Amino acid sequence: MFAIDKLSRTPIYEQLIDQFELCILSGDIGPEGQLPSVRYLSQTLSVNPNTLQRAYAEIERRGLCYTVPGNGRYIAKDALIKLREAAESKTSEFEELVSELKGKGVKMETLVGIVNRVYSGEGKVIAE
Amino acid sequence: MITAKDLTKKFDSFTALNALNCKIPEGCIYGMVGSNGAGKSTLLRLVSGIYKADGGSVEIDGENVYDNPKIKGRLVFVPDELYFLPRASLLRMAKLYSSIYERFSYDRFKELTAAFRLDPNANIGTFSKGMKRQAATILALSCKADYILFDETFDGLDPVMRNLVKNLLYNDVMERNATAVITSHSLRELEDTCDQLSLLHKGGIIFESDIGNLKTSLFKVQVAFEGEYDRSRFEGIEMLSFVKHGSVASIIIRGDREETTAKIKAMQPILFEILPLSLEEVFVYEMGALGYEFSDVLKQEVE
Repeated sequence: MFAIDKLSRTPIYEQLIDQFELCILSGDIGPEGQLPSVRYLSQTLSVNPNTLQRAYAEIERRGLCYTVPGNGRYIAKDALIKLREAAESKTSEFEELVSELKGKGVKMETLVGIVNRVYSGEGKVIAE
Repeated sequence: MITAKDLTKKFDSFTALNALNCKIPEGCIYGMVGSNGAGKSTLLRLVSGIYKADGGSVEIDGENVYDNPKIKGRLVFVPDELYFLPRASLLRMAKLYSSIYERFSYDRFKELTAAFRLDPNANIGTFSKGMKRQAATILALSCKADYILFDETFDGLDPVMRNLVKNLLYNDVMERNATAVITSHSLRELEDTCDQLSLLHKGGIIFESDIGNLKTSLFKVQVAFEGEYDRSRFEGIEMLSFVKHGSVASIIIRGDREETTAKIKAMQPILFEILPLSLEEVFVYEMGALGYEFSDVLKQEVE
């Protein structure tokens, strides 16, 4: 479920946060679902437990999960909504890009075609 | 907690450690880098009570280590030069270790000898260099000590074994809040493993930081604007370096990433890209800011 690229320039801590978010967005772990323990992840991913702890603390700070003492960590009810809202705010970037492409003479049909293709599930999906 | 205060060690006229100060909290995996002769091994030998300090003090949990068997029973040290009893087998060494370390675990010892594929009954003297290093690592990890000190241990192990040792180390950190101190010449290795990192040079720590903070507070930005511009345009942003090639500027920035992104985007650049830095680059710039030349510090001194 989690994949860490140790050769990447992106710090492991940030990779972990990205992976958690991806996990929530894709629905791999639903609302109120339990997150894997630091112990488990540290051993399966060979990652320093202190780094994992810090990544968990960060997503907890963002309100995406909560801790039940002595029990584990769970995804917050509104985690998906929060992440979607954050994604919505990126649409202004998309708009900028569209206007830039328009200025450079890219046809509207081409762009609409790309949007249609992505939403119908064909073509490549860029996961960031 | 390991605390060193104004720690000084001299060998004749050579000062190996010069009034060094550091604190290593419990449950931390602490990495040390530095050139040959920077004082890494000397520091580990002082922490493990092999050397007596010439000045200052080094304490574990508030107690002096030198000549203190009680504290020494809680720490294990794998030095760069290994020592085994003459003609001893791993099993014989395990007996010795278990007489010193109360928590010595034969279960773990067996598990590890099997994982490393070493014969516990064979004479260690017949082992290759790498196998001797593995033998020492097995013994050290079987002690279940609170403080585990490794002097260039990872440098001698192959990648598969390295991962195994790391996982065991992580396990000890989680289970018993153990503390590990590791020295290495490979920044890359320490970057993945440690959560705190220090750089030694000429007997002192010139740089110490949390790896997370180190890597997230410093980043590289590539940016371009229409028309002419220079560094003065970025007033209010802390820049460690500013290089301009043609119309594209590469800037190393220290600060909050989102805040800086918003600031630069408000200037309407025609190109804007954020790149994370490798730990090596972070060191280069941080040390440049301190007035040191990174290449000088890590370069091995050639006579």
